[in-house]
Amino acid sequence: MAKVEQRGTLSKSDLRDFYREMLLIRRFEEKVEERFRAGELAGFLHVAIGQEAVAVGVCRALEDGDIIMSTHRAHGHSLAKGTHPNEVMAELYGKAEGCSHGYGGSMHLYDVEHGNMGANAVVGGGLPQVTGAALAFKMRGEPRVAVAFFGDGATNTGAFHEALNMAQLWTVPAVFVLEDNKWAESTPESQHSPLRDLSKRAEAFGMYTVKVDGQDAEAVYKATRKALEHARSGKGPVFMHVDTYRLVGHYIGDPQIYRPKNEVRKLRETKDPLPLLRERLGLSDEEVQELETEVEEIVEASVEFAKSGTDPKPEDALKNVYA
Amino acid sequence: MATEIKLPRLGQGMESGTIVKWLKSEGDKVEKGEPLYELDTDKVTQEVEADASGVLLRIAVAEGEVPVGRTIAVIGEQGEEVAEEAKAEDRPEEEGSPGPAREAERERGRAASTNGSQTESAPAERSLDTGAARLKASPLARRIARERGIDLASISGTGPEGRVVAEDVERAAAAPASAAAPAPAAAGEVEARPLTSIRRTIARRLTQAWTIPVFQLTISVDMTRTNELVTKLRAANPDVRITVSDVLAKLSAAALMKHRDVNVQYTEEAILVFPSANIGIAVAAPQGLVVPVISACERRTIPEIAIARVDVVERARAAKLQAADMEGGTFTISNLGMYGVEQFIAVLNPPQAAILAVGTTEDRIVAVDGAPAVRPMLTLTLTCDHRAVDGATGAEFLATLKASLEEPGLAL
Amino acid sequence: MPELSYREAVRDALTQAMRRDDDVFVMGEDIAEMGGSMGVTQGMLAEFGPERIRNTPISEIALAGAAVGAAMQGMRPVAEIMYEDFLTIATEQIVNQAAKHRYMSGGQLTVPVVFRTQGGAGWSPGAQHAQQLESWFVHIPGLKVVFASTPEDVRGLLWSSIYDDNPVVFFEHRTLYGLKEEVPEEIEPIPLGRARVHREGEDVTVIATGRLVHEALAAAAEAEKEGVSVEVVDPRTLQPLDENALVSSVKKTNRCVVAHEAVVRGGFGAEVAAVIQYQAFDWLDAPIERVGARFCPMPFAPVMEEWVVPHANDVLEAVYRTVGRGN
Repeated sequence: MAKVEQRGTLSKSDLRDFYREMLLIRRFEEKVEERFRAGELAGFLHVAIGQEAVAVGVCRALEDGDIIMSTHRAHGHSLAKGTHPNEVMAELYGKAEGCSHGYGGSMHLYDVEHGNMGANAVVGGGLPQVTGAALAFKMRGEPRVAVAFFGDGATNTGAFHEALNMAQLWTVPAVFVLEDNKWAESTPESQHSPLRDLSKRAEAFGMYTVKVDGQDAEAVYKATRKALEHARSGKGPVFMHVDTYRLVGHYIGDPQIYRPKNEVRKLRETKDPLPLLRERLGLSDEEVQELETEVEEIVEASVEFAKSGTDPKPEDALKNVYA
Repeated sequence: MATEIKLPRLGQGMESGTIVKWLKSEGDKVEKGEPLYELDTDKVTQEVEADASGVLLRIAVAEGEVPVGRTIAVIGEQGEEVAEEAKAEDRPEEEGSPGPAREAERERGRAASTNGSQTESAPAERSLDTGAARLKASPLARRIARERGIDLASISGTGPEGRVVAEDVERAAAAPASAAAPAPAAAGEVEARPLTSIRRTIARRLTQAWTIPVFQLTISVDMTRTNELVTKLRAANPDVRITVSDVLAKLSAAALMKHRDVNVQYTEEAILVFPSANIGIAVAAPQGLVVPVISACERRTIPEIAIARVDVVERARAAKLQAADMEGGTFTISNLGMYGVEQFIAVLNPPQAAILAVGTTEDRIVAVDGAPAVRPMLTLTLTCDHRAVDGATGAEFLATLKASLEEPGLAL
Repeated sequence: MPELSYREAVRDALTQAMRRDDDVFVMGEDIAEMGGSMGVTQGMLAEFGPERIRNTPISEIALAGAAVGAAMQGMRPVAEIMYEDFLTIATEQIVNQAAKHRYMSGGQLTVPVVFRTQGGAGWSPGAQHAQQLESWFVHIPGLKVVFASTPEDVRGLLWSSIYDDNPVVFFEHRTLYGLKEEVPEEIEPIPLGRARVHREGEDVTVIATGRLVHEALAAAAEAEKEGVSVEVVDPRTLQPLDENALVSSVKKTNRCVVAHEAVVRGGFGAEVAAVIQYQAFDWLDAPIERVGARFCPMPFAPVMEEWVVPHANDVLEAVYRTVGRGN
């Protein structure tokens, strides 16, 4: 994947590439929903429709060698960090060709070669490990940054507070990316936190915080560059408060009885990052259609790849338990 | 082209749903994403949105419970023909199988898991002691009984709560056949005698011996000349009580020196051949069987052997033997002749490779030079560890012993 | 041969591994200047500095999790959990994270981390500082579990644990820290998964862990006077378990006692008993006896604490029961 060359600035062609990547994630996840509903996919699946600009904006800002740890809503992060759609889809189908070779599934997508240290299905569970990974980089003097994705729900866990406190105390090169989509499963932020501004939680540890509109891919990219520079230069960790929206339910099939239907409809009209970026770029219908066709081919091919993949042998379950 | 609307799976574990009502009628225009019908699942009642845009050509299931994957409606172009099978309600679907996703693969995993993969080894074949279902016996006792064809019900247990333990079975196995199936027990309490440590040692060593492959050789000996020799020796040594056993020890030692391959011990690495014949004498002490050793019998005179034997036997009966008295044996003699036993098989005394079972000397009618004659006869049975001693080797030893007992002068 | 206490033996393994290898470091609560609550890391700060003898906040989740994260990046951290009771706080990171990363990634990751901890009764710290929780972790595929009972063992096993590519939960018993023993000059690594026969015997096998190894040896000496010959075996590594050593010992003696300080119910001894009965069923001449603490939280009053946990005499009585002499 081509890195954006000039630090902090983005050409129209860069942004068009961002759009394409976001579109790929969107269509990929819609395909996942479709195949799940059709009964082809096992497991618990969570899509991040509406949050694509965060995944793309953050991951495009990373350098080779930087690592991420993700959440149960990880398809977009994995694709944006460079894992091939075929491998992600094959994992969702439980195939040996999957990015976790069929051992992980949707909530445990890994791709160590591409710096994805795993999606974590315990809310907040990966945060201490991001602190630890960053500590390793610091102790070895490596110019690498460890990046955590997590949601607003995670900011209520003990792991969050312990991990951020420790990261700031030890000034490790970590970036904590809060994808604040206002919902912890079915619980709205008003019911799970006494604060409306969750970045105050990081400020309480003395951590440098950055706020950014998560529906604006360019803004996310620029904020991430800034955060990475801070962390990499040894000034300590950064807390990125990214304001975003989950335009779907918590899981595939979630009837969302806990939120008014018109809320989702309204958000889709005003907060969908794809039309926002398209408008900004002034892409014509033809240009969009061209991208749609290209992306659709990739997604369809990923399903073909996955379906024709190799089922693990049942007894392969006993492998990889110990090194 | 028409799109079949199938009942979707709306969450892990959903197998079916109940259509409550349709929000559109046949012939209505429908937009993708528009609420199409109301569905009741075990979780919640919800509106389900249309998967496609067009005209609702047919409602296949108006209401009621439907399995996941079943076609419930068709959306297509105005006027489009609806394929006949799309109406069929019970047609199995290739997609959207009910229940947890990928049932076929789950089934394969289940099938594979019944191939013993849950346990590392198949359990050993076990027979059911149906006749002794309520009998308490340790697994080890049951195994020994099974292997030797002993009925556990015939054994009284000495373990906790009357449990039959291995030693009880060993004891029953060692008893004469008639004792293995006793007459109905007389009324009265079963006496449980606590095990002594010597009893434990006997049990352990003899159980160990039982696992060694052995063979037995039996031979009869005319004891006329040996008896004469004993009489003469007694006359010459009035202070010493010389017996046939002492002559047997001496002549066995001499034969062992001639047939060194019997004076051996088997080990995993090598066969140990001993330079001296240290003869163990099995003694029935009050506390149990003990086997004190008289060393280097080949270098002792018969009266010297007798003196040594009387010493150890007396000390054995007084329970005053030292451990050193019982060490270093290379061959054992077990004599039950004084009880009138004609012949018997002795159990090996490991690690020794041979043991001689001596019966009683009795007058028998035998053929001498073609005519019947009455002679004092003795039957000897040699038990050998076949790992160390072959049949011919044992037979040669026994032949030498017989010859020297019949003509002691040849050996002495 | 130098004489080392169990405490010094742990320190020696840590020190030598850290001298040899920059990737090895120690982190934990109060481990730097203070040298840890049990003084195990005393003096190490002076040699290695605060980066590698790293004091942490009282944050067991982050302490354990940061060690896991560093291990995933190729470090070999040794995280000290001050009291094994506090493992309960760190358990999410140990059980859901450390034990699973390799598996969930389909073999892409290794997590070479050691969680050192200590506990046990004897000093009356009460219900939240004296538990023995080793069996919890034996239940988790992906973890290795070690419980060392002597200075030589603790040193050789810790060394192997540090250089094992899997997460290891390493249990020490508090009352053993002062125990001294002559040990070889050079550390001899002890492979994980190998039991140690402390004493050979013919009549009964006692399979004991931690402090109970010493109680079992005392019981064996006592039993010998009564003509009962006791074999004492310490598995040392609870996972992987040296099943062959345990089973072959019981096949020899035909009787088995399992002994640990943790409560009997659901204790490690239950697993050992299950292994023995399955693999040596036809060799058993008596029911397998289990020795462990009574089923209550650890009480404070010394008189109660001593009564709750097992001692040599409890092992001895169990031994006698197996040979039909007990009550």
